[in-house]
Amino acid sequence: MKMPNSRKNDGGVSHERNPLAARNPFEEFRTYADQPSHLPLEQIVQSSELVMNQIRQGYEKLLEEEAKELVWMVQYNTIIKAYEVAEKHVREIQYSAEDIEDFCFALENAQKVPYLIPGPAGLYISALCNDAPEEEITLKLSELKTEINLLGFRLPKGRRLIIEGDAGDFTGIGLEGGELVVEGNAKNWTGAGMRSGKVLVKKNIGLHTGEWMMGGEIHVGGRIRGLGNIVEGKVFEREKLVYPGKTKYPNAYY
Amino acid sequence: MAAAAVLPFKQLESYFLSHFLTNKDGTKIVKRKAYQKQVAEIYQYISEHLYYNRPDMEIKGERFNSAILFSLLTGLQKGKELIIGEPGLGKTTSAEFVCSLLYQFPLGVIWGSEVSGHPEQTEEKIIGRPDLGKLNQGTEDVVWTNFTQVPAKIVDEINRLPETKQSMILDGVDRGNWEYLNEMIINDEYCLFATANYQDGGTNTIIAPLTDRFDVMVESRHPGPNLSFLIGKENHKTDGLRHPRYEKELHRLLNSKMSYEKKVPKVEEICNQFGDYVHESIGVKPLQRNDRDQIRAEMRDLPMDLDGSAFTRMLLAEFSFCDRYGQKRSVETCDEGCHYTGYFCHQIRNCASNRLPTSIKLYAQGLAWLLEDSEIGIEHVKTIIPYTLAHRVQWKEEVLPQKERMKRDDPFPIFLAKEAVKVVSQRYREQSDHVKDALASASKIFQGETLEPLEGDHPLYAEIKKDIDARRN
Repeated sequence: MKMPNSRKNDGGVSHERNPLAARNPFEEFRTYADQPSHLPLEQIVQSSELVMNQIRQGYEKLLEEEAKELVWMVQYNTIIKAYEVAEKHVREIQYSAEDIEDFCFALENAQKVPYLIPGPAGLYISALCNDAPEEEITLKLSELKTEINLLGFRLPKGRRLIIEGDAGDFTGIGLEGGELVVEGNAKNWTGAGMRSGKVLVKKNIGLHTGEWMMGGEIHVGGRIRGLGNIVEGKVFEREKLVYPGKTKYPNAYY
Repeated sequence: MAAAAVLPFKQLESYFLSHFLTNKDGTKIVKRKAYQKQVAEIYQYISEHLYYNRPDMEIKGERFNSAILFSLLTGLQKGKELIIGEPGLGKTTSAEFVCSLLYQFPLGVIWGSEVSGHPEQTEEKIIGRPDLGKLNQGTEDVVWTNFTQVPAKIVDEINRLPETKQSMILDGVDRGNWEYLNEMIINDEYCLFATANYQDGGTNTIIAPLTDRFDVMVESRHPGPNLSFLIGKENHKTDGLRHPRYEKELHRLLNSKMSYEKKVPKVEEICNQFGDYVHESIGVKPLQRNDRDQIRAEMRDLPMDLDGSAFTRMLLAEFSFCDRYGQKRSVETCDEGCHYTGYFCHQIRNCASNRLPTSIKLYAQGLAWLLEDSEIGIEHVKTIIPYTLAHRVQWKEEVLPQKERMKRDDPFPIFLAKEAVKVVSQRYREQSDHVKDALASASKIFQGETLEPLEGDHPLYAEIKKDIDARRN
C-alpha cells in the first residue's frame, strides 16, 4: 500500500503540510536542539553556582525546620532528626566533594549563608559527605575561623573523610565503619557512640573521648584530656593502647 | 525561598503557620488553589480522622501516605486501583472513605454497592439479573446491581474470585460497559478500587489481563502500634459519613425501574444534598460532579516536560524491548548471549502494555496538579512509576532470589519496581542530553530532514531507529 508522503527527494525540509506530521511520535522534541547552547566554561560556572545554591537552600531549610529561633540543642533526638532532614535535602542534589568544601567556606560568608550554627552545619556537612559520589573526601578547613561540630557523623564503611584543620565537639560520633582523619585537634566527645571504623586525630583531643562507643578504634597523635564511659572498642594515645587498659574512670588523667 | 530565609525566624514561623496546614504527624500541606485546597482538606480529614497511617512517600518536600494519595488520584482521575495488604489493615475502608468524600455517597450506599470476591459469586450478583416479573409476562428487562450503577466501585478481595469468574468483570473494569442479556449500561464517570489479600488458602491468582487493567497498585500498611491503639478507641469516627435518610433514598432510587440515564441526575441531586450535610457536620466539603469535571479538565491541561517524556520513553523501551525477538513476549525467553543483558528487558518475562504509559500520564498529571505544578516533570513521573509498574511486571525466576532478602519497607513487587526506577534514573542522568538529542533528531527526520539517527547503547535508540525506518520505508 502506498502511503501519501510529502517528503521531498532533495532531502530538504518539506514546507508542505505533511499528512503524517500528526503521527510524529517525537513531535514534542522538535525544538529541543534549538535551545541556546552555552560555552563549556559558562556551563561549568553556572552549574557549580546552581549546585551551591541548592546546597545552601538545603542548609537553610534544615535550619528552618530544626533550628527555629536559631537555637539548637545537642540531644540524641535532635541530632537524629536533624540528620534525617539533612539527608533528605542532600539526596535531592547532585554535587561533588569540591562543592562540599565550597559550602564550608560559604558558611563563614554571611552574604552567602546568613546563619552558621555549628551543630546543624556539621550534621549537614556529614550528610553531604556520606552521600557524596567520592569515597575519599578531603575538607580543607584550616582557614576556617569556626570549629564545626559533629563532623563525620555516621560516616559509613568504605568512606574516608580527611579534615585539614581542627574539628569541634562530637567529631566522628556514631561512626559506622568509615575512617575519619583530623589533621589538627578535636574537642570533646570525639567518637562518642561510634560502632565501628577508625578515628585518627593527629594532634590533641578533649574530654569524654569515646563516650558509649560500641566498637572501632580512636587513635590520637597528641594527648587525650579524658576518656568517656567506653562500652567496647580501642583507644590509642601516641600509638599506646589506653583503653582497654588501667583507666577505669571517665575523664581521669593518666 | 531565598527571601524567606533571611526573615527573622519568628516571622518565618508565623509565615509557615499562615501558609501551611499541618497534619497530625507534622507533615505540611501547602496552601492551595481552591480545588487543590479542597482535595488537600479531604486528604487531611481522612488521614487524621478516618484512616490512621504514616506517610510513606515524599515528593518535592511533601510527605504523603501512598494508600490515601493514590486512592484520591484514582477517584479524581477515573482510575483503577488495586490495594493489597494484610487482612484488617484498612484496604477496603480507605477506599470507602475516599469514595464517600470524592463522590458524595453516604457510606451505607458504598457498602451496599460493593462486590465481594468469593468462589460462589455470579454474574447476576455482580452485574445484573433478569426482571422476573417482566419475564413472567414474556418481556426481557434487566435489573442492574448497585455496583454497576454507582460511579465509585469497590471490589473487595478480588483475588478470592476464581480465575474463570474474573473474566466477567474485565470489560466493565476496562471501559465502564456493563452488559447483561442484550442490554448494556455505560458508566460515563467511574473509578474502581479492588482489594487483594496476600496469598492464602482461599485466594487465586489475578489473571494477567485483569491485573494489567489496574492503573496502580498500593499497599495499605500497618500504622504502627500507637496509631493502631487509637483505632480501637474511636468507634464513631464514621458517623459523619452516614445518613440513614439519604441512604434509604439512594437505595430506593437505584433499585427503581427508571432507566439508568434518567437515574444518574437524580442520584447526583441526592448526593449533593448529602455533600452539604457532610460539609456542615464535619467541615469538609466533598466534591460535586462539576467540581470533579473541572478538576479533570485542569489536570488534562498539564503538559509533560521533555525530561518526563524522555525518561518515560527510556523506561518503556527497557520494559518492552527484545533485541532477539523484536519485543518482549511472555511465551518467549531471551536467555543468554543477548547484547542487552544489562537492561531490564533481560530480567523480565512479559511486555509492558499500552496501558502502562496511560496510567503513568494519568497519575503523574494528577500528582502535578495536586502539587500545583504547571507541568509534569521527571519527579512526578519517577514517583508514580513504581506504583504503575509493580503489578504489571513479571520478573524472571532467577532475578527474585537476588533481591528477596534485601532490607526494605515496601512489599516486594513495589520494592522491585522502585529499585528499577532508581536504576533507569541513573542511566537517564548519565545520558539525558544524548537521549533528548536523539529524540529531537528523530523528530526532524520525521519532518523530512535528512539526518542520521543518533546511536547509543540503550534499547531506546534501537526503538527510535525502528520508528524512523518504518517512516522511511
